[in-house]
Amino acid sequence: MVKKEKPKRAPWVKNLYSNREYPDNYTDASFLKDLRTNLHVRIYTYPEALAGATVLSNQISCITGFLILYQLLLSDRVTPTTILVPSCGVTGIGYLCYRGRSLSLALLGEDSKTLLTVVFFGYLFSPMLHTLTQAISTDTIYTMTFFVLLANLVFSDYGLDVAMVSKAISLNAAIFGAICLASRLLTSYHAFVLLVEAAVYFVLYPIMTEASWSPVFMVPIFAVCCSALYWISQPVLYLYASTIIFINFICPFIFVRLQQYKFNIHGPWDEAIVEENTDENLDENL
Amino acid sequence: MRICMASDFFYPSIGGVEEHVYNLSQMLLRLGHKVVVLTHSYGDCNGIRYVTGGLKVYYLPIKVCYNQCILPTAVCNVPMLRAVLLRERVDVVHGHSAFSALAHEALMVGSLLGLKTVFTDHSLFGFADLSAALTNNLLEVNLGMVNHAICVSHIGKENTVLRAKVAKHRVSVIPNAVDTALFTPDPYKRPGNDRINIVVASRLVYRKGIDLLAGVIPRFKNNPNVHFIIVGDGPKRDLLEEIREKTNMQDRVEMVGAVEHAKVRDILVRGHIFVNTSLTEAYCMAIVEAASCGLQVVSTSVGGIPEVLPQSLILLAEPDIDSIYSGILVAIERHRKSGFKTVNPNAANGHLASGDNGRGKRRHRRKVESDESQSIEDSLEAQNIHLKPILCPYRCNEMVETLYNWEDVALRTVKVYNRVIQERSFTTSELVVAVWQHGSWFLVFFVVAHFLMGLLEFWRPRSRVEPARDMQRLPS
Repeated sequence: MVKKEKPKRAPWVKNLYSNREYPDNYTDASFLKDLRTNLHVRIYTYPEALAGATVLSNQISCITGFLILYQLLLSDRVTPTTILVPSCGVTGIGYLCYRGRSLSLALLGEDSKTLLTVVFFGYLFSPMLHTLTQAISTDTIYTMTFFVLLANLVFSDYGLDVAMVSKAISLNAAIFGAICLASRLLTSYHAFVLLVEAAVYFVLYPIMTEASWSPVFMVPIFAVCCSALYWISQPVLYLYASTIIFINFICPFIFVRLQQYKFNIHGPWDEAIVEENTDENLDENL
Repeated sequence: MRICMASDFFYPSIGGVEEHVYNLSQMLLRLGHKVVVLTHSYGDCNGIRYVTGGLKVYYLPIKVCYNQCILPTAVCNVPMLRAVLLRERVDVVHGHSAFSALAHEALMVGSLLGLKTVFTDHSLFGFADLSAALTNNLLEVNLGMVNHAICVSHIGKENTVLRAKVAKHRVSVIPNAVDTALFTPDPYKRPGNDRINIVVASRLVYRKGIDLLAGVIPRFKNNPNVHFIIVGDGPKRDLLEEIREKTNMQDRVEMVGAVEHAKVRDILVRGHIFVNTSLTEAYCMAIVEAASCGLQVVSTSVGGIPEVLPQSLILLAEPDIDSIYSGILVAIERHRKSGFKTVNPNAANGHLASGDNGRGKRRHRRKVESDESQSIEDSLEAQNIHLKPILCPYRCNEMVETLYNWEDVALRTVKVYNRVIQERSFTTSELVVAVWQHGSWFLVFFVVAHFLMGLLEFWRPRSRVEPARDMQRLPS
């Protein structure tokens, strides 16, 4: 008696309504064939990572520079005018560089109007701002300032398109920190100068660096901060220098080394990305 | 066999997981198994309730934390879960949904009691964002303690194997099903003239691709015979209403709003074409229900959707406006070629007369025979989908019934139960090793839970737990 051969089962198909002859936990050779790893991943070199880190170092140096000025005003080593006049000069040069060839009398008039308004009201309200947080103890003021300047650092725009970035929070935190510190100074004129410097450091300087930033700029900034801190407090100098070195050299090195372990998984399960309709783009889409 | 279904998602809440748990439980009861459902209380709905078919539901007094889920404490509900599992003399604990904290806790308690555990994953996850990373890590830990996992699509299996690092032979693919006796066609409900009704039924949220739909609708501004019926509610409703106003299509875009699941069929049968614009989907019940009602489906080709329906029932499009628009145009053209708008239901083999509204239960469900389904597939795959006219709505319903029915799903699930019952239970040391390998951070919770179980065993031994009395099932 000849044994009948079992009919060969149909090939497995990747759908849910065929494959009756196969067990439910059957895994075909095509399993995970659509798996893709590290799509659109950009591998950064050490110099690129180094250049990217200078943006953060610059922001730390900006805060450090502001605190150096505060310390100089607090200890009365320099008069407020000695700080204000050079600052105005540097700001003027910076403005001319920023505007460049697009500068016109009309534009100059508009900007001057804005500047005068800010300076006038700043000077007018400086006695009030000077006494605003005077009742609060110095320890509390310094603790608050530390946290708000940290917030400034966290929420600053470093050129990344992430949800955490908020220029408004960053700027408000810095100005709030400046107002807190202003109450520790001797006179309302000191407070006015500190607030002007806060505007220069946290409003105008970021506009300038955003327009034209080169990693090389970090060298003179670092040198100036270090030399100033050398005369103010050497422990703070070591802290600042080690922080900048760690962020600017060690972190990029770690980042570059860790890139080899990058394992982004992509496949048909990924959510399709579509442009979300907003009030701004709705009419365009129609 | 005594089975405990555990999930945060169950009636009175409405959704895909709820439907699945309920229908699977009903079919398992019909097959002679004992089934209890564990879920958290929903407002006044608390304590022990019996629902249709004598299905026993424990609405546990646990507070909801977020999105209908309980707070994932891992240990706080151990005494209650242990008491229920012992009282009901459960053999298999079956957890549903990766989002459900209650399911994960019940599975852990089940493993610690030496019971067999099965987990069904109903959704797809990415790997990049923080919430997905945390959920995946929790799932990895839990599936390390589970005997077997079930996914609703092959893509779902791939996704689960990758994100939970579970052995692929320990994952089965068992799809969802649809009650085709509830989702029956009724061509008389369609407009008799040249008008084409396009139905969209989904939550109006970003994930369901409502932004794509908002881009597709204005393309039909100059097609006066194309009408849209949009069922569902959500944050994107305002967007669709704004589109409707700006394109002056108020008379052609009907916003129905939220509709209870039982009444969805009444709206589906008014349509010719069903459009699904989801951006990700593990299975997509909506397209199967629409196909069961005889609608031509146009859907984005994402996740597990390409696996669900044969070519004659669905037109797949890329998740972009142009592709979906083209798909709808093809579907409209195919409708024009066929003439099922005025088909006589009596002519359809063995179907109910239209007087019954096509909703009466069919007495004899046709068993899913492999040769029958194969012949259907052969006839489908061979045809050129763009040229052939669409199938008769009743034929669509018949096909869907053959491909997806709860009896088949239940029988396949029972096979999984039988398989895990034969496996030996995990020892405590094996569970500790599994937890340590997959997520050492969870070990502290596991140790506390194990210690608590030991304490409860001392305080209230199994022998002293009074078994629950079984309700006699009434003959159906």
